[in-house]
Amino acid sequence: MRLAELQAAFQSAVLSGAAKDSTVLASLSKPVRRERATGFAVYVKAYRLRVAEYLEEDFPALKSLLGPKRFEELVVEYVAASPSRTRNARFFSARLPEVMEGSEKWRNEAQAIGVARLERALTDAFDAADGDSCRLEALAAYAPQDWPRLVFAFHPSLRLISAPTGTVELYEALSSEGAAPQLEPSDEEEAVAVWRSGFDPAYRTLSADEFLALNEALAGKSFGGICQLVAFQEDEAAAPERLAQFLVNWFSEGLVVALIEGGDERASVGPEAG
Amino acid sequence: MEPLPRLGYGLGLRPAYYEEILASRPPVDWLEIISENYMIDGGRPLAMLERFRADYPIVMHGVSMSIASVDPLDMDYLSALKRLIERAQPAWVSDHLAWTGVHGINLHDLLPIPLTREALDHVVDRISRVQDFLGRRILIENASTYVAFAQSEMTEWEFLDEMTRRADCLLLLDVNNIFVSSFNHGFSAEAYIDAIPVERVAQIHMAGHTDKGSYRIDTHDQPICEPVWKLFERARRRFGSVAAMIERDDNFPPFSELLAELQRMREIDAAISETREQTAA
Repeated sequence: MRLAELQAAFQSAVLSGAAKDSTVLASLSKPVRRERATGFAVYVKAYRLRVAEYLEEDFPALKSLLGPKRFEELVVEYVAASPSRTRNARFFSARLPEVMEGSEKWRNEAQAIGVARLERALTDAFDAADGDSCRLEALAAYAPQDWPRLVFAFHPSLRLISAPTGTVELYEALSSEGAAPQLEPSDEEEAVAVWRSGFDPAYRTLSADEFLALNEALAGKSFGGICQLVAFQEDEAAAPERLAQFLVNWFSEGLVVALIEGGDERASVGPEAG
Repeated sequence: MEPLPRLGYGLGLRPAYYEEILASRPPVDWLEIISENYMIDGGRPLAMLERFRADYPIVMHGVSMSIASVDPLDMDYLSALKRLIERAQPAWVSDHLAWTGVHGINLHDLLPIPLTREALDHVVDRISRVQDFLGRRILIENASTYVAFAQSEMTEWEFLDEMTRRADCLLLLDVNNIFVSSFNHGFSAEAYIDAIPVERVAQIHMAGHTDKGSYRIDTHDQPICEPVWKLFERARRRFGSVAAMIERDDNFPPFSELLAELQRMREIDAAISETREQTAA
């Protein structure tokens, strides 16, 4: 058998869990102390154990929510639906929320998908690119009349996710107590900002108006444009105060890494909202 | 062939020991990182790497080069590896004689190859191209294997000998892997060590494994066993004091246990030197 054929047969049997695959076993020499299948089974078992371990490491709260048996069912489905195409094991679980959304078995489990989205975002934040946070005082370098033209650049780790209302509360209970509180399923969604603060992933739920403002800011809208949008959506008189509070939050949490005089032009840096 | 620096006695750097190493600055001469753990955009791992680099020589050890795969070389992976090399400035870079997947899939394991002329030609060509791309010679490690192929045409040590000469690469000799594979396939671990070309060995790995009765698995979650220590001594007599280190990847013991194993390496080397001096006198 040529090397290419051998590798294809070997991989196919490992992926399908066929420890007694006849093509592979026929290619092996008989070991002294055991059957051919015993040695090959080491690779077959190790693959399953390894990928399950990657998923357990990335989704501990989801595992607590589903319980070991259902989590294992999810692992089996994910491994079959999405074999790893990355050299780095750290990215193996990236598609889990997406696969759950597309799966007949899991798509209606909104709370589980919400927790999966949050945990995946936290994992991504852990080793996202670095960025030096900017202090609120940086605004003072600009004359107030220039503020409307300012565009914010955000920390590269910042992502906004949507999940069913109560997801953050559920995640926190699962993470601290390992048990899920009794939450009524909700059709409403909550917005969550996820980023890295220092070396540690951080998150916070956002009010509807802060989500709107931050989402627009992430998309490169200028400060003036965001002010107009929030004023349009809210009580116009209260809008400046709300925006001021948002800004204090963003700077104090280290979300802003640069101010760019961009007019209404789209910022050239900063992550996409996800 | 210019020899690589003799770094002394090292440890595989794992997050479980980050704080202890930074706090106590233990008597470890150098650290080996798993390359892929640092082939990321930012955050704690890369910041930690900068701190360790300030105090210890660093060596990079990869698990995903897939040098024996029939898939095309993954240039995205190699480019990322090259960027990490520029950042970490390692004393050298290594990976395994293995493949990790084909058809774009990665099984995240070090898979075995048939020891055939075809596989040898393929691996030699790939190592040469990787070395050209990285602009440096790399070290290739013998992996533990659990199956052997009926079509193999040579022993593993014959394969390694020809591979290193033709590709002009170096060897990272894993003594525990030799022991595990020799048990699993019934060859002589001593004959293996005695046949490896001395001038090609630039680093030695030591680790523990799991005894499953009729076979052994390279788990890196146990102390180094006595037969592997005996093989280490044989390897040191043959290859001299090239850089040697311990890998521990699970069931992490108190750090002092790893330091004790490193100390045992030093004592074995000291005893060998003493014997040589007495013989010379």
